[in-house]
Amino acid sequence: METEHALEERHEAASDDRVGFGFWVYLMTDLLMFTVLFATFAVLRNNTFGGPTGRELFSLPAALTETLILLTSSFTAGLGMLAARRGNKNQVLTWFGITFVLGLAFLGLEVKEFAEFIREGHTWRSNASLSSFFTLVGAHGMHITSGLLWMGTTLVFIWKRGLDKHLVRKLTLLSLFWHFLDIVWIFIFTVVYLMAFVI
Amino acid sequence: MSKTHHKSPAAKLEPHHGTVASYIVGFALSLVFTLIPYYLVVHKSLNAKTLLVTILAFGVLQMIVQVVFFLHLGREKKPHFNLFFLMSTVGIILLVTSGSLWIMSHLYHGMSSMNMTDKIVTDEAIYQVDGKQAGTCSGQTGKNHELMLMDGMATPSHIDAHLCDTLTIMNHDETTRNLVFGAPGQAETYAGQSGPAVHLGHNKVIVLTELGTYKFRDQKLSKMSGDFTVIKQ
Repeated sequence: METEHALEERHEAASDDRVGFGFWVYLMTDLLMFTVLFATFAVLRNNTFGGPTGRELFSLPAALTETLILLTSSFTAGLGMLAARRGNKNQVLTWFGITFVLGLAFLGLEVKEFAEFIREGHTWRSNASLSSFFTLVGAHGMHITSGLLWMGTTLVFIWKRGLDKHLVRKLTLLSLFWHFLDIVWIFIFTVVYLMAFVI
Repeated sequence: MSKTHHKSPAAKLEPHHGTVASYIVGFALSLVFTLIPYYLVVHKSLNAKTLLVTILAFGVLQMIVQVVFFLHLGREKKPHFNLFFLMSTVGIILLVTSGSLWIMSHLYHGMSSMNMTDKIVTDEAIYQVDGKQAGTCSGQTGKNHELMLMDGMATPSHIDAHLCDTLTIMNHDETTRNLVFGAPGQAETYAGQSGPAVHLGHNKVIVLTELGTYKFRDQKLSKMSGDFTVIKQ
């Protein structure tokens, strides 16, 4: 019985590894998509067709706030993951609840920024620079949105059903996804926002 | 990971995870690596090129912190497939981004819209652009006048030239200068263009095909200004 149990556990671990690797493959292909969007932005960022440049449009304090919010959410997601491995349901709900709220705040700031640009008449149709900006930052925002939907549903499941092995695995992938979005955002912060004020 | 984690069955399922301490260290480092480049950019403490390299370096450092402290890559069982995959992806990223920038900057220098007007005007000997006389000097240019953009100033501030002379604008500053013709608030065109963009370290040649006195200035830096007068030969 002992050996059978061990065998089953090893099988579980191997299957977890496979799922983890499969998800990693997805993340890397997603990263390639972002790469193309970054390259497009880097090439087109100065083609403003006489319109305002990034320096005139962007607000650095707002971008910093967004960055700090997302970094913190990545941290709380990590703490939530540790709680999940300890099997502490309430802590998982708390930490991921905080992550969810921070993610929502980030998304809110981004939507606010977009809305301001559009209200001032600077849309994705204005020039190539803004087209590539909205595509890149918007693609990241869409990922954050889907991450929030995923997190929300998972948290409801955990709240109703408790922490089972299946849900912990789901949380592992989710936190991987969230850290990944954090990394992509860091480059958006650097390449889109900071660089606009440098060159 | 330390050996002790492998003793519990839960740890066996997830052999690569951090501790509260490693998350706190990672978080603190990522905050520091965000605030330093932000501070440098806001206070403009370095020149443009150094600043650019520095903030990109901090971006990479930041990514490494995230990968090591939050994604715990390289700590899983060997072979490190995830890490290999990340490395090859990073390789493709460098190739695609640097390649795009390289190719497109060449294309830009060769074919930017402002260059294009010039090129078509001179190559095709087009008589008028925007209703103004242009391109009448095709192939037969006179004396060359040099205009130097340096330390935020344009020297000399006044140039006297004859029709069909050339004006070579040389940019010795660290940044691209976008010159515009006309006084502030009164944009003009000269030889069909509203003003040349002169990239750092590059020259721009304008064939003086229109008569009259024209003012020019930098779009952002109003003290970088001057004028030139073109008279008949």
